Amino acid sequence: MILSLQNVTKSFGGLTAVDQVNLDVREKEIFSIIGPNGAGKTTLFNVLTGLYRPDGGRVMFGEKNIAGSSPDAIASRGIGRTFQNIRLFGSMTVFENIMVGLHTHIHYTYLETLFHAPRFFKEEHKAKNRALELLEYVGLRHSASELARNLPYGKQRRLEIGRALALNPKLLLLDEPAAGMNPQETFELTDFIRKVRTELGITLILIEHHMQLVMKVSDRVAVLDYGRKIAEGTPAEVRTNPDVIEAYLGKSGREERV
Amino acid sequence: MKKTWTSILLPLCGVAALCLLVCCPRSKLSLLAALAVLFAALSVKAPKWIKAVTFIAIVLIAVPIAGFKDSFLFELGIQIGIYAALALGLNIVVGMAGLLDLGYAGFFAIGAYTWAIFGSGQANAFIAGGHFPLPGWPYFYLFIVLAIMLAALTGTLIGLPALRLRGDYLAIVTLGLGQTVRLMANNLDHPVNITNGPQGISPIERPPIGWLDSVLRTMGIHAPPALEYSLFFYLLVLFVAGIVVLINIRLDRSRFGRAWVAIREDEIAARSVGISLMKTKMLAFATGAAFSGAMGAIFAAKQLFVSPESFTFLQSITILVMVLLGGMGSIRGAIVGAAAVTLLNIEVLKNLSDVLNSVRQSGFVLNLGFWQFNFAQLSSQLEPAKYERMVFGLIIILMTIFRPGGLIPERRHRLEMEKEEE
Repeated sequence: MILSLQNVTKSFGGLTAVDQVNLDVREKEIFSIIGPNGAGKTTLFNVLTGLYRPDGGRVMFGEKNIAGSSPDAIASRGIGRTFQNIRLFGSMTVFENIMVGLHTHIHYTYLETLFHAPRFFKEEHKAKNRALELLEYVGLRHSASELARNLPYGKQRRLEIGRALALNPKLLLLDEPAAGMNPQETFELTDFIRKVRTELGITLILIEHHMQLVMKVSDRVAVLDYGRKIAEGTPAEVRTNPDVIEAYLGKSGREERV
Repeated sequence: MKKTWTSILLPLCGVAALCLLVCCPRSKLSLLAALAVLFAALSVKAPKWIKAVTFIAIVLIAVPIAGFKDSFLFELGIQIGIYAALALGLNIVVGMAGLLDLGYAGFFAIGAYTWAIFGSGQANAFIAGGHFPLPGWPYFYLFIVLAIMLAALTGTLIGLPALRLRGDYLAIVTLGLGQTVRLMANNLDHPVNITNGPQGISPIERPPIGWLDSVLRTMGIHAPPALEYSLFFYLLVLFVAGIVVLINIRLDRSRFGRAWVAIREDEIAARSVGISLMKTKMLAFATGAAFSGAMGAIFAAKQLFVSPESFTFLQSITILVMVLLGGMGSIRGAIVGAAAVTLLNIEVLKNLSDVLNSVRQSGFVLNLGFWQFNFAQLSSQLEPAKYERMVFGLIIILMTIFRPGGLIPERRHRLEMEKEEE
């Protein structure tokens, strides 16, 4: 078990955005979280990555409870993420965005920078090669010198994933990676997600509205509604779950299906 | 194509400006020419070494030679150099890391007072034994280092609570802290007299420059000590400013510089890749403060006098305007901004004031038939030199509207291998 949520709760005033959620994600699994808008999916991600401190419950990452740790500490432990509304460093180049992603893996001190000690060059060189490798991996090698904000939408998504991969994470959280993509791009994304799992051995958790993608790529799916987990299982199980159909289509939808 | 043209034109213009400045150092035209070439050397596209040689030729050959005929050039150079270093320091804080700091002059004050108190008799007021003033050699140089450390330490201590705030709130708190430093300097003359209060401290020791004197003598130049000191401080300021530029460039191209820009662009994204906000911001704050501290100590020795008056809010704003004018996050921009604002302050506005004064004294009467106006009645409140703040305000407004990136906008470095692919 790489990640285990135990009774995680987060509320804002009177609204309980995440309500007593229990989840177990296995190593090298592709796990999807789906649910209607406002179901608390992104809030859950924000709790996982430390942007929100949960009001209750535990978030076990490996052996350690990371609930309430700072985002940078959690990132350094090996949880990378992307954001629903892409968050790149717009005025930096594509290459530099990846270099920022490598931040925790570049080891030299402040003084070594000022005096240009040998380790500075060694580490920068290493990081540069790694960054180029990663750019190649996400297919942005030829856009390396462009400013991130000038990239077309699909490439921005890929760059954000590349930046998260630079962290060398054990667990990668993708928040609606297929949003705004055309069918061709979505198809490529499906392949890419599988590739990340098999080639890099990274566990993935997806938030996604694109059902075809979810059903095709996920090992298991959890469904959130009003902050509560209403179902969990393989894509086939979830698809036929009456509660899920109700959450998405309402009661009448359930009757029509049945 | 463009590149080859400029690489021929730039040195030619450089030589022309050099000759002009050496021949007629007092002429505004030659000053203008020299400045134009320096600006070109910073902004045009040409091979690096050509730009560097042109720049160094003007700054290290033309100005010193011309300065012996007109020491105003040294004064101008020193001012620009000091402000360039300050602007570069603030550029790290505001430009790169995006932390609006309105109390930056406070660190300058700390540096200045560090040397002023111990480099004058002032310290005798609270340390018995009459050890002070400390002799300029070697203490002045040691105190530059001490000023750097003290300013950086203060920056860290102030940053600890202040940097938890964001945006406007941080700006307000730094504004307050900047004022606190000035007010402490103003009021720490009792119960124990540490800063001598509003009267300020004077005279302040300068380092001995016998070595420079003998160098000049062997070159066959005899100059009065005051002029030699001008040259000395000019070279010292250039040297320190040069180091500051070097440090800036090195940091900018390291994981630290990238982290600063990253938190400026998006704090949440930066944290999501493992960048610690507090550490990163604190480092920016301390680095910026350190540059300011170093220049403060030099400023104190150069002026022979410090008082709280030199470290007002307007001073912080002046430095901020330099960064904004030059271009946030741009190293060359900060230098150009510093030069432009300094010139505006001590050349342009002052000259305009002089022009206005002479018009007033001439008693010229404007007669439009239906309306007469005697210029002798012109209010002295109209002096442009008094409108510094308004001019700064205008600069900020105009820059925001027409050129938000500044005179030389920040240009993130392209990947080096681009050259291979071209």
